[in-house]
Amino acid sequence: MGKFVILVFGMSMLSNLLFGQTNCTIKGLVVDENNEPLTGATVLLSPIERATITDAKGNFSIKNIPKGKYKLQISFIGYHSLIDSVRMDGDKTYNARLRLAALSLQEVVVKNNYVESRKKDESLDIEIVNDNYLKQNLGGSLMNSLERLPGVSNIDIGSGQSKPVIRGLGFNRIVVVENSIKHEAQQWGADHGLEIDQYAVDNIEIIKGPASLMYGSDAIGGVIDLKNRKLPAENSFGGVIDLSGKTNNDFLGTSVLLYGRKKWFFVNFRATLLDYGDYKVPTDSVDIYSYRAALHKNRLRNTAGKEQNYHLSFGIIKKRFHTRFYVSNTSSKNGFFANAHGLEPRNVDTDLHDSSNRDIQYPYQKVEHFKIINISIFSWDKLRMESNIGFQRNFRQEWSQYVNHGYMPPIFPDTLSFLPDLERQFEKYVVSANLKFLYQLNDHVQVNVGVNGEYQDNRIDGRGFIIPAFNQKNIGGYALGKYSLPQNQMIQFGVRYDYGVINASEYFDWFPSPVFENGNTSMQYLMRAENIKQDFSNISWSLGYNYHPGKWSYKANLGKSFRMPIAKELAANGVNYHRFSYEVGNPNLSPEISWQLDMGIEYSSRNFAIGMTPFVNYFPNYIYLNPSSEHDRLYGNGNQVYYYTESRVFRYGLELHTHYELFKSLQLGIMGEYVYSEQLSGKKEGYTLPFSPPPSVVFNIKYQKQKIKFLENAYLSLDYRIVAPQNNIVPPEETTKGYQVINVAFGGNIKLKNHSINITAQVQNLLNTKYFNHTSYYRLINVPEPGRNLIVNISVPFSGNFKQK
Amino acid sequence: MKINGRYIIPFLCVLILFSSCGKDKEIDTDKPFIDISFPEAFPKNCDTIYFGESLNLRILLTDNSELGTFSIDIHHNFDHHSHSTEVTECNSDPVKDPVNPFIYIKDFDIPAGLKEHETNLSITIPSGDGNGIYDEGDYHFFISLTDKEGWSAQKGLSIKMLHR
Repeated sequence: MGKFVILVFGMSMLSNLLFGQTNCTIKGLVVDENNEPLTGATVLLSPIERATITDAKGNFSIKNIPKGKYKLQISFIGYHSLIDSVRMDGDKTYNARLRLAALSLQEVVVKNNYVESRKKDESLDIEIVNDNYLKQNLGGSLMNSLERLPGVSNIDIGSGQSKPVIRGLGFNRIVVVENSIKHEAQQWGADHGLEIDQYAVDNIEIIKGPASLMYGSDAIGGVIDLKNRKLPAENSFGGVIDLSGKTNNDFLGTSVLLYGRKKWFFVNFRATLLDYGDYKVPTDSVDIYSYRAALHKNRLRNTAGKEQNYHLSFGIIKKRFHTRFYVSNTSSKNGFFANAHGLEPRNVDTDLHDSSNRDIQYPYQKVEHFKIINISIFSWDKLRMESNIGFQRNFRQEWSQYVNHGYMPPIFPDTLSFLPDLERQFEKYVVSANLKFLYQLNDHVQVNVGVNGEYQDNRIDGRGFIIPAFNQKNIGGYALGKYSLPQNQMIQFGVRYDYGVINASEYFDWFPSPVFENGNTSMQYLMRAENIKQDFSNISWSLGYNYHPGKWSYKANLGKSFRMPIAKELAANGVNYHRFSYEVGNPNLSPEISWQLDMGIEYSSRNFAIGMTPFVNYFPNYIYLNPSSEHDRLYGNGNQVYYYTESRVFRYGLELHTHYELFKSLQLGIMGEYVYSEQLSGKKEGYTLPFSPPPSVVFNIKYQKQKIKFLENAYLSLDYRIVAPQNNIVPPEETTKGYQVINVAFGGNIKLKNHSINITAQVQNLLNTKYFNHTSYYRLINVPEPGRNLIVNISVPFSGNFKQK
Repeated sequence: MKINGRYIIPFLCVLILFSSCGKDKEIDTDKPFIDISFPEAFPKNCDTIYFGESLNLRILLTDNSELGTFSIDIHHNFDHHSHSTEVTECNSDPVKDPVNPFIYIKDFDIPAGLKEHETNLSITIPSGDGNGIYDEGDYHFFISLTDKEGWSAQKGLSIKMLHR
């Protein structure tokens, strides 16, 4: 067995090694059923939450343990965890033999102790969830499934696409990382979702705060770090079939995973197929600005879609070396609400659109995302080196019926290279590489050093212009030191330097428009974007402090993060077909800077926990798309012009959570979030930022039992969400009324021989309440949120073992 | 459990910041309004505009604080892609392909500082261009209005454009 678990569990455990100064020591040896030493098994001592990892010979030791009684937990991927209680009244030796689990894939790799120690090790506020959480909260898209987490929300457009929002910041201010490589797509676009297969993710870490230090430009608002790191046990093979259904949009989905592993070589393959119809809203008609559109049978016309995703991963797991390849392709096609796409709200051919709720008519988008990623890790006693290399291609097309706008010819000429109905096309090629070193200098000091580089080439096509073709290079390097102090304290400090260049190409209209000059009108091919070459550099840093005395934990982090302006902000010049606006970039924007102070305070005992994570944030130059009082006269149909401008922005907020275990089987919880933003300068001084999430609170009651007749790990959970009105708005938003929604979730496992079938079910919006979500793109056109939705997921595993020689 | 002073200080700072950042500036959250309900208003939904003549744009624009600009857009609706913001339904011609449809896009300033502005604007509609005379039929008359703060209002009218 390799030493890879150290890598899997990362540096989080290491710091825990370094604390303390008292009394006894526990040491021992961890072996498998054949008495072979297990390297990298986690050994955790509760409730003092001291943990370590076994070394290459399977040995572990935890020093300086105060006298007392403890719970000892030894766990290792692919093996049953061992839990025992130990009395420490002097030095002790504890040897353990772990039994191989029948299906290691079913084991939750992300144990609570990992989550806890990872949270304690990070001075920013983070949330960590695993695939069980995703299944229990399965939504229309990955971000939908995560929005229950405090501080996390999303900007939706339709039922299958949503963009991550952390504490009110979204778009290019949030970095999404999948398997250590930054996911690069058309994240600037309003109608663009994440090309991530939520069935293929097993660990999600959400950093709620600026994390440019480790993740580079764009991580100014936070990070969503997705990992797919479950490994089959040695000499095993098997699979899992997931079947999902949703009643609201007649969703049918299946995801099939096959895996196998000989001693050190493993292969996983997953295919996901999803197909859904138009979603239902509890209303008969919607008012799109001033236009009223009737809906047929409560269905939001043409929001059906489908998705096909394939993933292959394989790799080598050796003692000191570990390499994994991930190859994936996600492709989706989904319709846009037909009445609200274009230059103005549209009349639609209802006979065509309403004949079926599963067909995808114009307007729709097709998105393909292909990725190859390699993660390789070398580890020595004190040094660990990790390299990540990635290649991505994102290809997105928007299709809609040709309608001449501006001075486009009424009859589409047949001399052009693109089809008349191709509204826009974006093609992006990205090569990224990271190299990271982790060095354990001594018992107190750990050093992280790394470099990241990325090159992207972006091409455009189609009849409509919004952003130019461009290429972009980024390179950055960082160093981060963690210093452990006595009494469970830790200080970390990091510095990063980034350099980036963006080259945008000029663009001329393919049709002439009348230009009035010196009293004469001439027809000219207008230049929409000029050649732009801009380079940016920045130094960012972060200083953090953690302190964990007993059941309390405190953290504070002060940092400066940054973000390079994106091509759209520098050079946009076209119509936003979802907002009927004309958007204009500004080539003179400077890199966005953010200063943020994050804090966390938490008390947690065996049956009660309460915590609060406040933050204060200041942007000297927040880049903002400002609706002006001007109108465009050469494109579209005389749309209102929105300019990219900079303003000073001040934000603060907090998340709160508490839970109390009334009985062993009954838990009560409350989660709340609040964000306030204000523009301190510029044309919108005094206004908030767009899509500001309103304050909200979720009251949860959860009943769970180890066994109810044939159902194991049964649970029944009720979420009562109260959302305050959002009256803090900025043009073109409308105030949104407060609302209350009830969601119910239940499920459990049914044991069949060696395997258990996992069933999860939810009823979202139990009372079919009509309400508006302020952070939905469709809020602007008065589309309420989906009505009642029953979601069921069934997960059927199967497995076997290769014969051992 | 004792809470050390140095942890209280940052939290107090946060609390102070929280409490001291109330809104002091009143912001405008009202949209402007386009009124075509008065008798002399022109055009109204289902009105006819003639090529080769001038139309007199009579619309009343209002806002609670200060008007911004407005724009007029006239484009063909031969495929019935546009619909109107008005309740009244107009009789539309059968769907047809455009040959030489009329296009008009223009933005207009409103004198600064006004809360109310009634237009009395003459717009000349030519009867054709270098490609021949303009197509008759269903057109869409689109009015967009902003106020100084960037709030906006739209009116979409179904009209007929004919040669007299």
